[in-house]
Amino acid sequence: MSKEVATDFLIIGYGNPLRHDDGAGPRVAEIVASWRLPNVRAISAHQLTPELTDALASAEVVIFVDARRTDPHAQPPADVTFTAIGAAEDRAGAADTHTSDPRRLLALTQRLYGRCPQAWLVSVPGVDFDFGESLSERARQGVEVALRRIRLLFTSR
Amino acid sequence: MTQRIVIDPVTRIEGHAKISIYLDDAGEVSDARFHVVEFRGFEKFCEGRPLGEMAGITARVCGICPVSHLLASAKTGDDIFAVSIPPAAEKLRRLMNLGQIVQSHALSFFHLSSPDLLLGYDSDPAQRNVFGLIARYPDLARGGIRLRQFGQEVIELLGGRKIHPAWAVPGGVREPLTPENRDYLRGRLPEALDTVKRALAFFKRYADAHSDEVAHFGNFPTLFMGLVSKDGGRWEHYDGWLRITDSDGNVLVDGFDPRHYAQILGEAVEPWSYLKSPYYKPLGYPDGAYRVGPLARLNICSGMGTPQADAELAEFRQRGNAHGVVTSSFMYHYARLVEILAALERIALLLDDPDLLSPRVRASGGINKLHGVGVSEAPRGTLFHDYEVDEHGMIRRVNLIIATGQNNIAMNRTVKQIAQHWIHGATAGIPEGLLNRVEAGIRAFDPCLSCSTHAIGHMPMIVTLVGSDGAVLAEVKRE
Repeated sequence: MSKEVATDFLIIGYGNPLRHDDGAGPRVAEIVASWRLPNVRAISAHQLTPELTDALASAEVVIFVDARRTDPHAQPPADVTFTAIGAAEDRAGAADTHTSDPRRLLALTQRLYGRCPQAWLVSVPGVDFDFGESLSERARQGVEVALRRIRLLFTSR
Repeated sequence: MTQRIVIDPVTRIEGHAKISIYLDDAGEVSDARFHVVEFRGFEKFCEGRPLGEMAGITARVCGICPVSHLLASAKTGDDIFAVSIPPAAEKLRRLMNLGQIVQSHALSFFHLSSPDLLLGYDSDPAQRNVFGLIARYPDLARGGIRLRQFGQEVIELLGGRKIHPAWAVPGGVREPLTPENRDYLRGRLPEALDTVKRALAFFKRYADAHSDEVAHFGNFPTLFMGLVSKDGGRWEHYDGWLRITDSDGNVLVDGFDPRHYAQILGEAVEPWSYLKSPYYKPLGYPDGAYRVGPLARLNICSGMGTPQADAELAEFRQRGNAHGVVTSSFMYHYARLVEILAALERIALLLDDPDLLSPRVRASGGINKLHGVGVSEAPRGTLFHDYEVDEHGMIRRVNLIIATGQNNIAMNRTVKQIAQHWIHGATAGIPEGLLNRVEAGIRAFDPCLSCSTHAIGHMPMIVTLVGSDGAVLAEVKRE
């Protein structure tokens, strides 16, 4: 939920858990929440809606976790990527209720609150985005990799 | 020669649709159609599912108003169980529905429609969005975002999640509110009230200064329908009697049990849209066109039932016709803000009610009837769920009458009215501002064409002018 609390790390895992691997982001967020770490807040969301700016404004570091569509036959298979990202408003005109770009959300936070946190985008490879609640083996492995690296990020600071 | 202007897709509404505007030989608008091109099929694929799953399934109809379906479905289950739910359960369901009204109306006004109102219909479409709004009106934009957040928090603190909470069930609800969460919501109310009052002040000034939009954005006589309280006919959002009035304020139907809706409402279908067109049976189709939602609820009720909203209702009616009925669909925006105010006042009252913390929130029951109907007021209007089950509670038939569908005839007439007012001899080029007015006319109804999946990227608008021979005369694409 979005009660305002001071937090150092914020994890936002987003996607539709009813679309198989699109649920990888929410799955990561739910697992991080279950760790109950101090100064770490995790939010599972379908979409990156403007209300999330409230939470972003009080975070020092935000980690967005999303799934990305990859070729199931690619060799070697796609891996989890960590990318440092910043605020960007270059997608002006995008539908406001479906703000699915973390860079735009960061820009919105900057505009609204005069600050935005350092940000990372964690991208988990997915191969199955059809209807269903389970993750493919590829996405499941990706979730594990993402969780290990996120934990390392927490402990390295 | 007949020409056709196509706006496809319409943006900043929930879902996907296109608009066709037909021109006659003289270039004047002869007809207009609002096509809903999505097909969901919920009524069919619910067949064979257990009654207990229906609330969870039908909540997936929509990512914006899942609570409305959750409540209507749970009420249908109450009817089939033939149980009276505990007082705490009804109050908790009411609280969640009020949170739903706040969040959905705030989304409609601040995120979707206010860029048009505040930045202008002729402003650069690249800036006519929430970013542009923040740049020009940062305080109002921030307040609007936080107001929607408050509504979502009400839902989340009760149901455990903002979207698709599996909380209301046949017989009641799963969990009561905790004292900590009640206190948290209390603390958020003053800011929410301040935001909606500022928005109301802004909108009244705007409407007074934009009489052209008020006069031509869906301003015509229709019937109005919604629930009113069983005692006194006041504004109602969860349970009550159906009331239907006309544009002169005459009451056609009153004290009507909504479970018998099929006696007075028919459902027409058109080959060019997946959206049904319900109508009032005694007047036939399409003469029995009626509107639902905020505008209708304010037009049919005897009062709002809370002091600040009652004062706003009186002012609202002063802007209506000689009978105090507001017939312009543009004023849906105004009605939406009055309803947010009413919802916040009622939330404040409910949060002081000791019943909210009662652990008795669920009545047990079984399949005691084979047919049930559940009706509640969704943000966009009256929502009907109608199920038939077998002896084991397996669904045999489902009929859903969704608020947006009930406004279908009125939305088509709105597009036609706007087009007829602004398009005259449009043969060379299509002004951006004009097209946005057509979209804005539809947006006034806040139609929800169901979008429980998240869109990928930006939806472009393509406008095509087609001659009677099928040749494309002009095309505009908005990236």
